[in-house]
Order: sequence, then structure tokens, then C-alpha cells
Amino acid sequence: MPNKSKCTAKFPNVKIWWITFGIICGATFLTRFYKVLEPDHVCWDETHFGKMASWYINRTFFFDVHPPLGKMLIALSGKLTGYDGNFPFDKPGDKYDGARYEGMRIFCATLGALIIPLTFLTLWEMTKSIDSTLIGTMLLLLDVGFLTLNRYILLDPILLFFMTCSMYGAFKVRSLTETGTPPFAPHMLCWQFFLGASLACTMSVKFVGLFIVLFVGFRTIADLWNVLGDLTKPVSLTLKHLIGRSITLILWPIILYVFFFWIHLTILSKSGSGDGFYSSGFQARLQGNSLNNASAPRVLAYGATITLKNHRTGGGYLHSHQHLYPQGVGARQQQITTYTHKDENNKWIIKPYDRESVSGVVLVRSGDLVRLTHIPTGRNLHSHREKAPQTTKFMQVTGYGEDGIGDANDVWKIIVSNGKDDDEILTVRSKLVFVHYLQSCVLTTTSKQLPKWGFEQQEVACNPNLRDPNALWNIEDNVFDGLPKMSFEVYASGFIERLVESHAVMLQGNSGLKPKEGEVTSQPWQWPINYRGQYFSGNAHRVYLLGNPVIWWTNLAFLLLFFFIYIINCVREKRAEAFGGTVPANENRSLLNAAGWCFVGWALHYVPFWAMGRILYFHHYFPALIFSSMLTGILTEYLLRSVQSFLSPELGRAIYHSTLGVIIAVTVYSFYLFSPLAYGMTGASQDDNSTMSSLRWLESWEF
Amino acid sequence: MEPLQTLRKRKCKKKVSDVSESLDSEKSLKLTKREVGDGAPAEKDNLESKHEDHKENNFLREPCSLKVEVDVVFIIIVILGFATRLYNLANPHYIVFDELHYGRYVSLYTKGVFFFDAHPPLGKQLLYWAGKLAGYDGNFTFDRIGTPYSEHVPVTALRMVPAICGSLLIGVIYQLMQVVSLHPWTAALAALLVLFENSFLTQSRFILLESIQILFGLWGILCILKSTRNTSWLSVVWLCFGAISLGCCFSVKYSGLYTYFLGIFLVGRQMWLRINEVKSVLRLTFSIVWRGMILIIIPWSLYVGVFYVHLALLPKAGPHDSVMTSAFQASLEGGLASITRGQPLHVAHGSQITLRHSHGRTCWLHSHAHVYPVKYADGRGSSHQQQVSCYSFKDVNNWWIVKRPDESSLTVSSPPDAIKHGEVVQLVHGLTTRALNSHDVAAPVSPQSQEVSCYINYNVSMPAQNLWRVEIVNRATDLDTWDSIRSLVRLIHVDSGSALRYSGRQLPAWGFHQHEVVADKVVTHQDTVWNVEEHRYSKSEDKKERERELVAAEMIPTAATHLSFWAKFWELQYKMWSHSGDAPLGHMFASEPLDWPVLHRSIAYWLSPHSNAQVHLIGNLVTWYAGTLSVFIYGTLLAVYAIRMRRNISDLSPIVSKKFYDAGFIFFLGYWLNYLPFFFMDRTLFLHHYLPAYIFKILLLSFVVDHVIFILHMRERTKALTHIFTFFVVVWLAYVVLTFKKFCVLNYGNTDLTESDLMSLRWKDTWDFILHKKN
Repeated sequence: MPNKSKCTAKFPNVKIWWITFGIICGATFLTRFYKVLEPDHVCWDETHFGKMASWYINRTFFFDVHPPLGKMLIALSGKLTGYDGNFPFDKPGDKYDGARYEGMRIFCATLGALIIPLTFLTLWEMTKSIDSTLIGTMLLLLDVGFLTLNRYILLDPILLFFMTCSMYGAFKVRSLTETGTPPFAPHMLCWQFFLGASLACTMSVKFVGLFIVLFVGFRTIADLWNVLGDLTKPVSLTLKHLIGRSITLILWPIILYVFFFWIHLTILSKSGSGDGFYSSGFQARLQGNSLNNASAPRVLAYGATITLKNHRTGGGYLHSHQHLYPQGVGARQQQITTYTHKDENNKWIIKPYDRESVSGVVLVRSGDLVRLTHIPTGRNLHSHREKAPQTTKFMQVTGYGEDGIGDANDVWKIIVSNGKDDDEILTVRSKLVFVHYLQSCVLTTTSKQLPKWGFEQQEVACNPNLRDPNALWNIEDNVFDGLPKMSFEVYASGFIERLVESHAVMLQGNSGLKPKEGEVTSQPWQWPINYRGQYFSGNAHRVYLLGNPVIWWTNLAFLLLFFFIYIINCVREKRAEAFGGTVPANENRSLLNAAGWCFVGWALHYVPFWAMGRILYFHHYFPALIFSSMLTGILTEYLLRSVQSFLSPELGRAIYHSTLGVIIAVTVYSFYLFSPLAYGMTGASQDDNSTMSSLRWLESWEF
Repeated sequence: MEPLQTLRKRKCKKKVSDVSESLDSEKSLKLTKREVGDGAPAEKDNLESKHEDHKENNFLREPCSLKVEVDVVFIIIVILGFATRLYNLANPHYIVFDELHYGRYVSLYTKGVFFFDAHPPLGKQLLYWAGKLAGYDGNFTFDRIGTPYSEHVPVTALRMVPAICGSLLIGVIYQLMQVVSLHPWTAALAALLVLFENSFLTQSRFILLESIQILFGLWGILCILKSTRNTSWLSVVWLCFGAISLGCCFSVKYSGLYTYFLGIFLVGRQMWLRINEVKSVLRLTFSIVWRGMILIIIPWSLYVGVFYVHLALLPKAGPHDSVMTSAFQASLEGGLASITRGQPLHVAHGSQITLRHSHGRTCWLHSHAHVYPVKYADGRGSSHQQQVSCYSFKDVNNWWIVKRPDESSLTVSSPPDAIKHGEVVQLVHGLTTRALNSHDVAAPVSPQSQEVSCYINYNVSMPAQNLWRVEIVNRATDLDTWDSIRSLVRLIHVDSGSALRYSGRQLPAWGFHQHEVVADKVVTHQDTVWNVEEHRYSKSEDKKERERELVAAEMIPTAATHLSFWAKFWELQYKMWSHSGDAPLGHMFASEPLDWPVLHRSIAYWLSPHSNAQVHLIGNLVTWYAGTLSVFIYGTLLAVYAIRMRRNISDLSPIVSKKFYDAGFIFFLGYWLNYLPFFFMDRTLFLHHYLPAYIFKILLLSFVVDHVIFILHMRERTKALTHIFTFFVVVWLAYVVLTFKKFCVLNYGNTDLTESDLMSLRWKDTWDFILHKKN
């Protein structure tokens, strides 16, 4: 332990501290690693993260909405323990059958286990009181849901681990600041770098890490505010602290975060399932992608054969085929769609609006009037005043004409977005807008799927609103002999561009995770009351993620209680200041202050979910649960002490200790009762006489 | 020092709170020196000694001279307000933008036809009263934007309501600024900025609700401020006024709730300050409790009252009925009531029923003679049995017959054999006489659930599993009978324990795009709840006869059944809450909250069919940018003062700093409270959603101007700058007026604009004006 001396100063019996810590560690070890390798099949989201670990090991590119660190760590642990990346992780319930999953699971369970001692240390740092620390930690240790979540190949144990590291670091830094450690003392800097690194790691596992960053931000502001308020110290001290923290808590985490992405993009060097989500320039970096090592002219000239890719994330190629729009869907002309795969039918030839061909090399420039002719069928890209098949506000786009001879409705104005008139049009680089000359609408794709007659490709239409963000296209293939070819390497995005693009794609992916109509989704109000759990594993070895109701409901009650106690205390203090009276004891005040920070942490990790439109799951509540359990621990001691102060010393002490004993006993017993939820229930599911069915206290629990 | 001494004496005599005192002292000081710069009293002796003589003289004459002067400015500004807002109100004589909706609602009110809208009804009711006074008959169909009004529509009267509100708003702002104890010139500045703000002008001139909402909101805040500055019985009166006004505010539009929260916050802060001022605990508790009661009970009972009037005004069935539950529909005249009148209550063996999906989308359990395709597009197989779906329209194929499994006859015995909670029944489809069935086959679109079909016996190893247990969700006891309309039931498949559920997904073309029905393991979902809507007893055993009975179902108009006001109220609240936004995504003129402070987009409200005259919602860019700047300035000042206070350096005298924080609480907080929530809204937003926040921004802007002048004036060194700054403000104000004048062609919409006119107005590339194509 780093600060043994401080323990001795405040708490006379160091031995007891060590014994408590030892017991907590021992119990953590026993509960977390008991049956950790069961069940030996894929549980719940292991199917995703296992799959992604395999992709990392095979170095094939993929797309995911979460940042990479958590998955990279899982992959690393798998690689080190002999997992070869060949297990498919198809769906939950698949037997591992010899695949070496043990390393990954034990790695996650270890990180999950470390959360408990870290919480112990954090609570100790916050309160310097062994009782609060013990109760708070015990509530987490004995929570069945927390146990379940932290034993499988998931991102949550990793996220929660780094989160508790950040919490520990934040309060360590607070203690150091309070004892007046100079801002650039090595001790101080070490802890701040530790805190910064933990923050970066939390953010790089899941974006919910943002909330802990906010929490640490508030903590830091409070620290600086306290330093500033000390009138015996010069302002320059605050400035020094500010500089130190800007470097260690802002700059350093950003560097780490970018570094993790650099590793991510470097490891995933081969083309894989995620290519289609990214732009042409991005794809040019991936080995095995058709754009890798290809070459094309740098600029576009009339007569070139091109493919057009929609610039929207995951956008396809402008496509056409022999088939016509069916009867009743606009004019019965040839279909135009976007198609995500590469195909001969994606090829177009670009011509001036008034001639079939030009002599020599004439470059296409922004603002030119052009026609696009579909090479395999010889029809022109055409639009007219007819409703588009799905988005009826837009106009229909068709293939029209014969061997490139059509009518005036085939004329499009090609414009480089954010460019000037007469700019050259660059392959891959230029973002193009095609404005229909007569109807003044833009060529766009609506990302709606066409029915069977359109082979479930995506709808292309002409939008009269020229500000459509989906109306950007870029040239991908550009075949033209008159111009010198350049390697695609030139177009390939640099690291920073790829970093920015990955974030844009992730952001879009995240906001795209909307619940569909009629789907059962977990809602934030259900979480604190432990309304409904989540199946981890079915059939013979059933595991159900559900909080220990005794702990959860106590937590909920204490949150409400805290709110009232805090207000009453504020009022009492304010009145005591004005009219004189008993001021609350100092110790109680510091406990309440610690509880206040827990409350802030809880609120930061819970309230934002109410405002989120994306699909939510029960396990999103667990970061908030850590704070809530800590709050309960601290508040229990506060209440016990308040009660004790009304009683005679002997009676007070007796009641204090017996209540503490009862609390511990009840929690342990409830853990014993509900532990089969985590360690696996066996037997028939419909059996009404089984032991578990008597524990179904709420009808909504589905075990 | 004479005036201050008098004040101190007064303080001894009366118990005047600090704030009102500061108000008085300031007024007295202001009068001594009527110049723009003198925004607040200076307590420093050197400043005051200069004007001592003046003050003494003026102080005696002051009350009458003050009153006259204030009134003149006030009256001029309000008259200007009315003049700009009411000018040429009936022009353009076409439906402009959302007048489409509100006009339609006024028509429906006039005819007493029930409608459903996601906004609360007070604003529409005010419009209705105006229309009624002017003798509107409700017979104009508001079909689309740009349709000319017929002469039967009292356009001026309807537009008068928002126009009057928009004009009064200017007066309220003038008063509000004075209550916050700002200099009359600052108050006049704020009022002028609102007067010359194109966005408020547009919004006040048409049948729209924002100006009504903003007027109620600001008037409420004004009353509450008056209440917090009084301690006598006047405080109660003002608080009541404030509570009524804020109640009206959120009964017009729900976004008024943010202003209501601001009101609660202001009173809460007053109470917080009183905690260490009032010695007696009893008095303190009492004053907190009655204020809390007034602030909660009055607005919410007003809200409920508005809905009472709403439901009382709309007794007839109309086009939006289907949003509501069967019970609600049956309580309206005509409509469903006409069908369900006289139908038997208890569902019995042999009952012919239609089963409605109770919550969410309106549809009825449906089946037809088509079967599920053998293979789906994704390669899965089906049972190839008769399709069952949820169909959104009334249809003869929605009829089902309830049958006990052990009885073979399909007629109702006498007395009817009523079905109770927990009993097992079969549901036989009326026209095809096949029974509702479910089995362990994945459903067509939601493969995680079981398929529901009507059983066809193909003689394969797939027995019928057509028994369903009736669970009444809203039962009082376990012995309740299954009643039509009233009972919400869940149908539990006996063999699998799953519940019949509407899945929310649509079937592909083979299922005629009707909605999928499945049997789902998650029994408690609200989509598993159904109720019987139409109901009658089968009389004939003969199949042909029965079919004729089904097809010939006739509708006879009759009286409504009774449903209590509270039941209707809560249902309406629930539906409004769960109703998703009606504006289509990707509207051409939609904008994002981040676009608003820089006025990125305008909204085209109307374009004349004959010329290029048009109406736009567009702000006065000069005011707009200054407002955004003032938010930054105020935020910075707030931080700087706080940091310097922390180091025990106070830059401002107590009175001035009190005023600074006062303005902050009201304007700064008011702005963010009305603005920030929009970042978390998942729906199409428009520029006019920003207006309630923007009004606070203008107030903040005037305050910042006042404050800057004061800071400059405070120090000897910068005093000379005061005049320069004042001059600058006047020039800027002139510029504001010029811009207003330039853009007001887009508010009145009475001038034909040429292309070059429009181009000269297009100060930002992102503003889209409309131009008729030359022929």
C-alpha cells in the first residue's frame, strides 16, 4: 500500500485495514473465478466481441460502433493464450469445441475482479473510514449482476476496470492536492499521468467513457477552485496546477487515444467485411481491396468510363440494369439504383450534353453540362416529373434513350461541392453533385430498399431540395487512355483523414442503432429498480444477468435518502450560520461531501441515457451502479453515526456494530440465494417447484 | 448624502427588502442625471458628491416627472408595436405555413368535431374564440399552403390574436426590464430590439402560437419577479397572476414548460435566500408551502381545465378517432358509438367480435383466404397455413367467432354462456371458419417469435394448437367476465405460453403489406393487449346465413356512451406523450439547434402565386449576432467575477453585483433553459422553436449593454469612453432599424421582388428564397 503512513495517522489499527483488504481480495478471487470457464459455449455478446477478436488476429478490416482498445485487448489476450482466430462465434449457444477461449475469458474476468479492490481503495481515499469502505465494496462484491457481467468476453469488464482506475486516480490526486503537494512534484505528476492514461483507456473502450471524463473534469475544477480559494497561496500556484493538469489530463489522454487508433488501423491492414462502410480513399489502404495497388488518371476527361460511389457512409455505386420499373411505379423505363458490390453494370461513360464524342482530351470541369450513358445498356441517366418509387416527394430517375441518344431531360450539371466553377474533377478526391438541368433537382440516394422488382437494391431519386447531404458522389474507377495514370496510393487517405473518417462512421453507426417499431427495448426507468434482466445463456446452463435485488433496492432507497439528507443539511447549515446553533460535525460533513461526489457520478452515468434515442440495454446501468453502491456504503455509516450521536456511548456503539453485522449478514445471504443466476441454473425451465422460482419476486424477471 | 439617509430611515420604519430598496434608491439616483450612461447608482462618495445638490432638488420633484416620462416612452413603443404588427393584417389573403394546421383546428372546433394534436389546446381555443366572435362558420377546408382564403374566413380576426399578443409583448418587455431595476433607457432599448426584430414580426402576423406562448411566459416571469420583490399581500397576488400566466404558457405549447421551470426556480431562489432571513421556522415553512402550492396547483388545474373545455367543445366523432382507444371513440357522438350502441356487453360462446390492438397503431386482428408462402425470401420455410395479420381498416374479414373448445354449435345459448378471466377458448375466423392457431414455426418477419395462422388440416404431423386462454388485464377480480370494449385482454397460447402480439412489422407483398401478428414469449409487452370492439351474438347455425349476417353489418348513428372526464383526460395525455412527431423528416426548411444562434436557415412561409412577393421567417441579423455575442460576454464576465471574488477582490458594489446576478438568473438561465433541451430532441426542428429562447437573449443583450456602460462609467480612466460607447450603441441601433426596414418586405409579403432584390437580401448563402421561373 502506498500510503501506509497515512493509514496509521488516521486509523490506529493498520492490521485491521490489511485484514479487511485481504478478505475482500480473497472473496473477490473466489467469487469471480469459481466456474469461470462454464458454460463452455458462446454467451450473449461474446458472439460479437469474440468475432472481432478473431478479425484482429487475422488482421481483416471490420466496422464496429465502439472504439478499438477493448477489442484489441481481448484479441491480444487470446493471441497470447493460443487462440488462433478460427472459431466463427456464429451465435450464442455455439459450443467452443476445443477453441482456446479460456485465455480471453480469464483475462476479462481478471480485469472484472480487479474492479473490487480498486473500489475499496477509492472509497478509502474518499472517506478514510473503514466502515464505509467495507460496506460500499461489499455491495459491489456481492452483487450478482455485477458478477455476471464481469466474467465473460465482453467490453464491460474492461470498461469498468479502466473506469475504476480513473476514479481511484481522481481521488488520489484530490488527496495530494489537499495535502498541498506542489503541482510539478514527481509524485503528483505520476498520479496525474496514471489518471490521464486511465481516462484515455476508458474512452477507447466505449464512448460512455465520456461520462467519467466529465466526472474527472468536475473533480479537477473543484480542486482548482479550492486551491484558488486559499488566499495564503499566490494565484500562480493555481496556474501551475492548471498547466500541469492541462498536459496530463487533456493532452496526454488525447495522444494515447490517437495512438490506440493508430494501432487499430495498422493491425487491420487486410480487406474484410467493413470495407463498404468507408470511402474510396480509405479502401485504397486495405490489402486485397480492388482499389489497393490500382491506378487511374488523376482528372476526369470526356469519354472516360467511370463508376460513381455515393459519398454517404456505406453508400453504393450508381447502378442500372436491363429491368424496367414495374407498371404503376412512375414511367416504365429502365431502373436506376445504387448497389454496394462491384459489377459491370456500375460503369458509365461521361459525355458533353450536346455531342456524342469529343476529339482529343477535353477535361470535364465543374459547372459543365454532361450526360452519363450506362455502358452495358446504352441508356442515359434521366429524370422527369414522376414520383420516385419509395420517396414520393422526390422525382424518379430512370435510364432512357437508345445507344446514348435521349432527350433534354438527360442533361445534368456536374458541380464540385465546395469548389469553384471550372475546377478540374479529380478521381476519388472531388465530391460531386449532379443537378438535373431542367428540373433543378439533385441526384441522390435515399437508402431505402426497393422491393423485389428492384432486387432489393437501394433507391435512387432526384431531390428538389438541393441541400441534400446524401447527394454527394465521387468517381472511383476512371478508365481513360489519353491521360497519364497515377497510382491509387496518391488518393489513399492519410492517417488523420482515416481517423476522422472512422469517427464519422462510428458516430453514424451509433445513431443508426434505433429500436424498430414494436421491438422490446430496455428503458432507463427500468434499470435502477431492477425491472428486467438479460439472458446470457439459455438451455441447460442458464445464466441470467440480474442485479441482486436486495442491494439494488437498497441502493435506490439510499439515493432518494441522500437527496433529502443533503437538502436538510444545507438548510440546517445555512440557518446555523445566520442564527447560531449546532453545526454538523466535521467528520459527518466530509462523509456527506464524499457521498455528494458519488451522487454526481451516479447522475452523470445515468441521466444522459434518458436523452438518448439509440437502442439501450440493461447493462448500460452498471457504471452508475458502482457510484450508487459507493454512495450507499458512505451513507450507511453517516446514518449510523447520526443515530449513535443521540444515544449513550455504550448503547450507541452496540447498536452501531450490531447493525453493521446485520447488514453484512443480509447481503451475504442474499448473494447466496441469487448466486445460481450467475453460476448457472440447471434443470427444466418450466419447473414450478425449483428453488429459483420462489425467488421470482417480480413477474417481469424471466429466469 | 441626503437621499440615502432618507432611504435608511425608511428602512427602519418599514420592512422593505433589499431588492426593492435598491430599486428605489436607483430611481432616485437616475433622476438626478438623465443620461444614458447612468445605468446604476454609484456608491462611491466621490461620484455622488458631485451631484449632491442636484439630487436633493430632484428628489422632491421626482415622482410626477418620472411617471410622465416613463409613460411617454412606454406608450410610444407600444403604439409602434401595434402599428407594425397590425398593419395590413389580412394580407396576404392566402394560407401561410402552419396556418394550415391551426386553421384546420379552428374549423374543427367550430364544428365540434374531435381531433387529436400533440400540442395542448389553449392557443387553438383562443383562436377559436376569435373566429367565433367574428362569425366564422367553420366551412373552409384548409387543404394546402398557398390556397386563397374565401371571404367567409375572418382572416383578420384570427390573425388578430397572435398580433395583439406580439404587440403587448413589447410593453411587457419594457416593464420586465424595469422590474429587474434597469435604467429606463435600457428597457427602451430591449423593447426597441424586439420591436425591430423581423422574426417576431413574422411570427406575430400569422395564425401561429409562438407569440401567444412567449407573451404568457414573459408576463408570468414579470409577475413572479414582482412577487419576489414584495413581502406584503401583494406578493401573493402577483404570484397568483404569475402562476396563471405560466399555466397558460405551457397550455399553449409544451415548450412553455421551460419558462415555467424558470418561474419555479426564481421562487425557489427567493425561498433559499429567506432561509437565513426569517427567524421563525413556522413562518418560513408556511411561506414556502403556500408559494409551492400556488405554483403547482394553479397552473396544473388550469391545464386540466383547458382540457376540460377542449373535450367539452368537441363532442363529435371525426377523422382522428382511430388514434384513440375504442372506449374513447365510443364516447363520441357518431363514429364508433353508432356501431357499438346496443351491442351485448358480455362476450359469450358464439359471440361475433372484432379484436382491436389496443395501444399504439390502430388495427384489427384479420385473416383471409391466402396462405403463407412455402418459402420466404431468406430461405426459411413456413407452415403454408392461412395468413393472420393486423389490418388497419374495417373489413368483413376482421370478424371472429368465440367458441368454447368442447361445444360444437356456434350459436349463443340463452342465457349467454359468458367467458370469464382465465377460461380457454378458440377463435374461429368468421368467413373462412378456420381457427386461430399457433405453433413452433418462426414467424415470417420476426423469426424470434412463433407464427400465428388459421389452421388448415393438411394431414401432416402438425396437430392443431388452437386453444387460447383469455387473460383480462384490467380485471378487478379473477371472476370478471370478458366485456366488449371495456376489457383489455391478452390471449395466451395454451400450448406454448406465448401471447398473441402485434409485432409492429409489415408483411411483404404476399401479405398485402398488412401488419404481422405473432405469438411472443414476452407476455407483458403492451402490444399483446387487445380488446373487443364490435360485438354481436350469432343467431344462426347455418354457415351461409352467418356469412350474410357478417357482411350485412349495418351502422346506425346513435348517442355516445359515457366515459368520465378523467379517463378521457389521461388517455389523451398518454396518446399525446407517446405520439411521435408529425412533421416529416428531412423537411426542406428544417434546421438543427446548432444552426440557430448564427441564423443559418430561414423558413419560407409563403410565396405569392402571381408575383415574387413572399413571406419568410428570418431574423434581424444585426440583433441576432449581437445577441449571440452578448451570451459570450455575459458568460465570460460571470466567470471572471466569480474567480476574482474567490480571491476576495470585488469589482462591483453589492447592489450592482446583485443586479448582475439577478439578470443572470433570469435572462441567461432563461435562454439556456429554452434552448438546450432541443439538442436532445429526436424530431424535425425549425427556426421558430428558437424564438422563446431568443427573447431572453435580447433581454440579456440589453442588460450587457447597460452593464458595459456602467463598468466604463465606474472608473475615472475609462469614463470618457462611455460617450463613445453610447454613440456606438446608437449607431448600431440605427443599423438595426435599417436592416429591419430592408427585410420587412419579407414579413409583410406585399411587395413584388425582382431577382436582384432577392439577391441583395440574401446575406447568407444558406438562406433559400424562392423565385418564380420566368416563362
